[in-house]
Amino acid sequence: MNGPLIVQSDKTLLLEVDHEQAEACRRAIASFAELERAPEHIHTYRITPLGLWNARAAGHDAEQVVDALVTHSRYPVPHALLVDIAETMARYGRLRLLKHPVHGLVLETSDRPVLEEILRSKKIQPLVGARIDPDTVAVHPSERGQIKQSLLKLGWPAEDLAGYVDGEAHPIELREDGWALRPYQRQAVDGFWHGGSGVVVLPCGAGKTLVGAGAMAEAKATTLILVTNTVSARQWKHELVKRTSLTEDEIGEYSGTRKEIRPVTIATYQVLTTKRKGIYPHLELFDSRDWGLVVYDEVHLLPAPVFKFTADLQARRRLGLTATLVREDGRESDVFSLIGPKRFDAPWKEIEAQGYIAPADCVEVRVNLTDSERLAYATAETEEKYRFCATTATKRKVTEALVRRHRGEQTLVIGQYIDQLDELGEHLGAPVIKGETSNAQREKLFDAFREGELSVLVVSKVANFSIDLPEATVAIQVSGTFGSRQEEAQRLGRVLRPKADGHEARFYSVVARDTVDQDFAAHRQRFLAEQGYAYRIVDADALLAEGLEGADEEAV
Amino acid sequence: MTTSRETGAPRTLAEELRTRPDDALAALLSARPDLLNPVPGDLTQLATRAATRASVVRALDRLDRFTLQVAEALAVAPDPCPYPVLAGLMTGWGHIPGRSGSGGLPEDPRIAEALPRAVAALRDQALVWGGEDRLRLVRTVRELLAPSAARPSPTGLGPTVAEATAGMSPGRLQQIIAAAGLPATHDPVTAVTALTALFEDRTRMAELLATAPEEARAVLGKLLWGPPYGTVTAEPAPHLRWLLDRGLLLPTAPGSVVLPREAALHLRAGRAHRNPEPAAPALEPVTAHAEQLADATAAGQAFTALATVEELLQTWETDSPLVLRAGGLSVRDLKRTAAALDTTETAAAFWTELAHAAGLLASDGDVDERYAPTPASDDWLALPAEHRWAHLAGAWLAATRTPGLVGDKDAKGRTLAALGPDLDRSPAPEVRRRVLELLASLPAGASVSPDALLARLQWERPPRTATDDLRARLAQWTLDEAELLGVTGRGALSAHGRALLDGSEATAANLLAPLLPEPLDHVLLQADLTAVAPGPLRRPLAQMLGVLADVESKGGATVYRFTPDSVRRALDAGRTAGDVLAFLQEHSRTPVPQPLAYLVEDVARRHGRLRVGAASSYLRCDDEAVLAELLADRRSAPLRLRRLAPTVLASQAAPDALLEGLRAMGYAPAAESAEGDVLIARADIHRTPPRTAPAPVPEGPPVPDETLLGAAVRAIRAGDMAATAERKPIAAPAPADGGLPRTTSAETLATMQAAVLTGAAVWIGYVNAEGAASQRVIAPVRVEGGFVTAYDHTADEVRTYPLHRITGVAELADDHA
Repeated sequence: MNGPLIVQSDKTLLLEVDHEQAEACRRAIASFAELERAPEHIHTYRITPLGLWNARAAGHDAEQVVDALVTHSRYPVPHALLVDIAETMARYGRLRLLKHPVHGLVLETSDRPVLEEILRSKKIQPLVGARIDPDTVAVHPSERGQIKQSLLKLGWPAEDLAGYVDGEAHPIELREDGWALRPYQRQAVDGFWHGGSGVVVLPCGAGKTLVGAGAMAEAKATTLILVTNTVSARQWKHELVKRTSLTEDEIGEYSGTRKEIRPVTIATYQVLTTKRKGIYPHLELFDSRDWGLVVYDEVHLLPAPVFKFTADLQARRRLGLTATLVREDGRESDVFSLIGPKRFDAPWKEIEAQGYIAPADCVEVRVNLTDSERLAYATAETEEKYRFCATTATKRKVTEALVRRHRGEQTLVIGQYIDQLDELGEHLGAPVIKGETSNAQREKLFDAFREGELSVLVVSKVANFSIDLPEATVAIQVSGTFGSRQEEAQRLGRVLRPKADGHEARFYSVVARDTVDQDFAAHRQRFLAEQGYAYRIVDADALLAEGLEGADEEAV
Repeated sequence: MTTSRETGAPRTLAEELRTRPDDALAALLSARPDLLNPVPGDLTQLATRAATRASVVRALDRLDRFTLQVAEALAVAPDPCPYPVLAGLMTGWGHIPGRSGSGGLPEDPRIAEALPRAVAALRDQALVWGGEDRLRLVRTVRELLAPSAARPSPTGLGPTVAEATAGMSPGRLQQIIAAAGLPATHDPVTAVTALTALFEDRTRMAELLATAPEEARAVLGKLLWGPPYGTVTAEPAPHLRWLLDRGLLLPTAPGSVVLPREAALHLRAGRAHRNPEPAAPALEPVTAHAEQLADATAAGQAFTALATVEELLQTWETDSPLVLRAGGLSVRDLKRTAAALDTTETAAAFWTELAHAAGLLASDGDVDERYAPTPASDDWLALPAEHRWAHLAGAWLAATRTPGLVGDKDAKGRTLAALGPDLDRSPAPEVRRRVLELLASLPAGASVSPDALLARLQWERPPRTATDDLRARLAQWTLDEAELLGVTGRGALSAHGRALLDGSEATAANLLAPLLPEPLDHVLLQADLTAVAPGPLRRPLAQMLGVLADVESKGGATVYRFTPDSVRRALDAGRTAGDVLAFLQEHSRTPVPQPLAYLVEDVARRHGRLRVGAASSYLRCDDEAVLAELLADRRSAPLRLRRLAPTVLASQAAPDALLEGLRAMGYAPAAESAEGDVLIARADIHRTPPRTAPAPVPEGPPVPDETLLGAAVRAIRAGDMAATAERKPIAAPAPADGGLPRTTSAETLATMQAAVLTGAAVWIGYVNAEGAASQRVIAPVRVEGGFVTAYDHTADEVRTYPLHRITGVAELADDHA
């Protein structure tokens, strides 16, 4: 009884990472517990029903889970918790969706009372057809997604074994010339393919696009890829042309500007969820081809209407790609029931340790406001407060000092407020990318940045998602969307892409002291700390005092 | 009851008791302690009391299933009943040819083996008396257990032929006799005897049944194991006709028939019970964990239990919930407590009741009554952990309070509140102890399924009715609570639980002590502003951290989170940033993370920039010199003046005292309106006055100890000697003309009971509620619960008389009635 694990009464697991058995324990519990926080000494995992069902879907049973807990736990595990785990896990798979040779899609049970119970639910009744035998009931094929969603809500998640349509075949091969899928990417592809449908969780910068490409090469069928925005769509296209046998002509873009439908079509969430006169005019995209695979990029951002469409796509293979299963809107269960269980998961630090993403040094720079700024801040309207303190002139000076310090390195300055960014751009002599910048212009600037022609780029939140800036080594965050942790992760991701020279990435947050800015920063940084990126705090005054000739070490 | 010493065999229970040795009497009193209250005057009185309905019901309730089945069998057997007949009823005569399943139960050798023990148990408890050749069930027992239309017997047997044919016309009886192939007789009594003899004769009965139509046999099969009653139409089908003609079905009411007992017994191969259960169901251990694992789990839970109770006390000392007017804790307070303890309401009810039973919290008895920790709780908190646990567990074991009932509705539809009235259930300690004893009978580390345990408990004390599930619920609660309290671990009784059961709290504490986790003196600080205590902390450390940070998750470890608010709380409590950081440095295994240090310093920097203080009055004056003069004046010292600003002084004296003082010093102050007066009240820690823990409310009198038993037996013997030795033929208390008969109450009761048996009328003296005396002639029908129900010849109706109003009783001369 001296294991590295402590089981808490609220079903969190505390793992002492410096313990000699920590690694073995981590491997044992990763299959069923979600990593919640990973600060330096003790990592927190949480056991949730979804996590347990994910484990069941991956072929683990309650015995293994209980054994993992009991073996590694430092203190006796409360019996009630073990019983609860066993009961929760036993709920998965009591109901199975199958393809019946005569009756088509059917719901079958191995436990008759469960079937009786769910058939009495008002939510289920409209979704099922005739009772075929005491253990089987017909399900309307169009309700396959709906019934899975409803069953999960009732606490009896169904195992979907009804299989998939192959879709229209289309040859796709990975062209591994001079590069190869990384081992964890290969594992992710295999995990997904054997599971049928599901979600692959990889940190930003770990090459999720390649996992998508790998999955397409397995499916060898027409593919619909759903991404967050147009820039991201272009990135996907670029990457697919580069890494696979697909040519430009085979890949279509379906966005606000272009409406191409090709064997591989990349569509944005935006265009799909555009509503005209109360209907979604672009829904026909889903039926326009016999898709063999649907890829969802950034599943954690999937807009609610897309879930609705996805419910109707249950006969097609679905691959979700994301950095985190945590959704700010709490719809994790819909991801589970409609896209599928988690098929692969690798924690950030582990991939960093393998050298695939760059290590990062996170620094919070605390700026002292001048007395006049403080007074102005104190008397500002509540809703204006954040904007005010986030855009003070003092901050600008500190930012300039930071940029100067990292002269010669690829630097991104990221902010929320356009006028602040314009001003910064002017002072730094750097171009600004914001919402009104045309896509062509954006790509041009990105290319220049990538080629090293430009070393500083000021970007608004439009750059938050899915753009690929491989050579950025310094990111300076001057303001953000309040305390969004999601945004923090994305921004950190900007500098985490592997660097050619293995240089350590820098992530600066410039924060006004004693203001709401600091509170929001604390909230955002909690995410970093939980991901294992301890940040340190530097006083802006110290930084400014050291001036231009300061070496990199001064903040250590 | 009179005694006769002419023959050797006792004729009444009292006589039989008289022949029993002292230790047998002591055993009887020990098994039925209610007989001792008050100590009976003599053996007649003891026998009478032992035959009262209330006492008999109580005794029957405590029989195990097999003994009860034997008593039930005796109740359907002839009275008196020779032992072999009883054995036949229990074991049957083996297989019935041509019948399998229901009737053809294999003979169970365990029955014959267990029977003598069961009979002895019944005899010990004075429910059965008489020799082996004439076992007699006490009449009250027979009344309670014998089948009647109103109360079917568990045996499923119906009335005897004699009882069922009681009202039948002689003509009909003749027809039955004839159809059954018996010699005709005009005498109904002979006819009934002949029919009974036929049904009881195995050979003749078998021959008779062999001629029965197939459907008729099916009907008999249906009624065989009871209920023995069936319905027939006015024009019965031929196979029913066949049965009715031969008396195998006897009419009870129009349209209703019954299978007579003798016939049923033949069909059952002589068995009174379908499933005699001679042996208690075995407790099969379901899982045998390692003994250490069960103990460790239990110890872990014991530690959690202590932490929970401590937290409860801590919560309630500043946030004392109100006592409802009807007593108990309101549902809302229970919910809040559950939220504070991070548990369910059921568990919260358990913890509050446990702390209450252990005398750690009570109501304070103030005008607006609140619950708060008792002074004893402070002593308890000072004890070592294992002794704290032993105290809790000891209180739990003996408590009659049942927190499991909280939230249920009582008979009036009111919700039962935690700590409220009506939560005492007297069988609770006994069931609790029995459950643990059964667990203790298993090998160490083994647990048993609750169903098996319940089956065993129900065998030992069969529920009176199918719906009477209090004991089952109590057993389930016991299992749940034992697990919560850490008496059991993974369903197996722990070593310290065993010691507790043996009555040694000290041993239990010693066994538990090494298993409890050693409190730690360090935490791990992390950059995400959390501190993790990887185990229980020493109390001062835990208290300080509790102030300095918010608890985020509990269990084996504790996760604390530092927030600006929590750090401010620590600064408010008088700590400085330096203190806090030094404290963290000292107790952290790792360096204090920079963000945490920044957080503490940031909060400290802003802390105390605004100052708040309490003053009773203030003094302002535009002339600074006057104030300076005033401060310098020594006479102003009692006013405790303090300069806040050049023109403002604050005083701790009340405004009127300040005015008074200033005037005495020769100034002419003017009072200002009381606005701005600052008074700050701090919540006090709440304690009740000294309170004793609630005593358990056991059912009935306690089991008497050896000394009391001995004394009681001697007293009874002496009384009996006095009653029986004095055989001088004093004329029965023949009443003088107009005088009321006078007898002792024991004699009155005995005479009444005798009269019930014989159906004789007696003459009583009676004093009514107004004190008016009268004499009445009554024929007692029933004597129970201190009342005599009797047909009153004087009033010509059935009346009920309280026994204590009857001054005396005398038998009537024969010519009366």
